[in-house]
Amino acid sequence: MKRYECMIKLGERLSDELVILSLGGSVDEWYNAAPHMRAGSLFQQQLGCVTGEAFGLAVGLPHRRIISLDTDGGLLFNLGILATLGNEQPANLFTVVWDNQMYQSIGGPKTHTASGRVDLAAIARASGVEKAFTATTLEEFDALCEEGLAATVPYVVVAKVDGILQPGIKRKHSDGREDKYIFVRHVEETEGVVIMGPSEHN
Amino acid sequence: MKATAVDAVIRGLKKAGVSIVCYLPDSLFKELYPALDADPELRTIQVTNEGEGAAICGGVFLSGKRAVLIMENSGLRASVEPLARMGLGAGIPVVMLMSYRGELGENNWWAIPHGITMEPILDALRVPYQIIRDEAAIEDAITDAFSWSYAAYYHSAIALGGSIVR
Repeated sequence: MKRYECMIKLGERLSDELVILSLGGSVDEWYNAAPHMRAGSLFQQQLGCVTGEAFGLAVGLPHRRIISLDTDGGLLFNLGILATLGNEQPANLFTVVWDNQMYQSIGGPKTHTASGRVDLAAIARASGVEKAFTATTLEEFDALCEEGLAATVPYVVVAKVDGILQPGIKRKHSDGREDKYIFVRHVEETEGVVIMGPSEHN
Repeated sequence: MKATAVDAVIRGLKKAGVSIVCYLPDSLFKELYPALDADPELRTIQVTNEGEGAAICGGVFLSGKRAVLIMENSGLRASVEPLARMGLGAGIPVVMLMSYRGELGENNWWAIPHGITMEPILDALRVPYQIIRDEAAIEDAITDAFSWSYAAYYHSAIALGGSIVR
C-alpha cells in the first residue's frame, strides 16, 4: 500500500479539519497530496510528540475534528500517549499511524514494527483505545477513514505502507516557525479567536 | 504543601487564563493535585511522562486555550526532547510549574540529582525561570511566566522551593 495514495484518499475527505504531522517523507507527500489542507496542517519535525500535540489541540477545540498523522517511529517514541487517550477518550481525535516499519528519513533502518511481533493497533486497544485497526490495502484504509472520521471515540488506523517515497513531488520550503504562523493564523481565522495577539504597544 | 500555597497556585493559574492542567503526580505537590482535579473551572489531564505533557500543552497553545505543565523538577529531564523541538524549532511555548526537589534541605539521596540538574537543563534550553520561596510571590510569578511566554513564544518555568512545598 502506498502512503501517498492513502493520503490522497484521506485528503479528499477533509475540508475544515486540523492536522498535525510528524517528520520525514510524509511531510512533502502530505504537502502535495492534500494541498487544500496546507494552512490547516501543522508540519512538526518531531518524534514522540505528534499525537500528544494533536490531543492537546483536540482538548482545546472539542467541537472540531483533529487529525494526527503519526508514524511508527514517532508513536514508539512515546507509547504512553495511547494510555492517556484510553483514559481521556477524546471524541474528536482521529489518528493515522503511517507504519512503514523503518526510520525512512534517515535512510531506512528498521523500527520495532519490522519484527512482525509489535502490533501498534493491538497496543492501542490494550490501552483503552478500542477502535484501533490495521489497514493493509487502500480499500481497507479508506473504509476505516470514513468510519473513523465519523466516530465519537478516539480512533486509530495503523496504515501498513511501503517505504517508497512518492517520486517527483514538490518539496515544502517553510520551516517550523513559518509553519506555526501559517497554522495559528488559520486557527484564529476559522475559530474567531486570538492566539498570538499584538504587543501591548507597537 | 500548605493549603494557602495551593490556593495561591490556583489563583495564579486562573489569573493567567489557564483552563487546562497537565500533570504527572509527585509527592511534594500531593496536596495540589486533588485541588486541581476538584476545581470545576480546570480540566486536568494526567500524563504518562512529562514529555507527553509538554506535547499536549503545546497542542493546547495552538487551540487558543492556555495550559500549564505541573511536575516534579525531575520531569524536566523527561521533557527535554519535545521542549527543544517545539520551542526552539517552532516557537510553541510550554509554561512549567515545578516542585524543586533536591536543593539544600533535601534528605533523599535519589532526589539529589533533580536539584543538581534542574537549573543547568533550564539554562541549556535557554528557558527563563524563577525559584519561588515566598508564598506571597506565587501568584505574580505564574502570571509573569505566562506574560513572558506569550510574548516570547517560548517556554518559561517556575520552581517552588522547599519552604513552600516541604
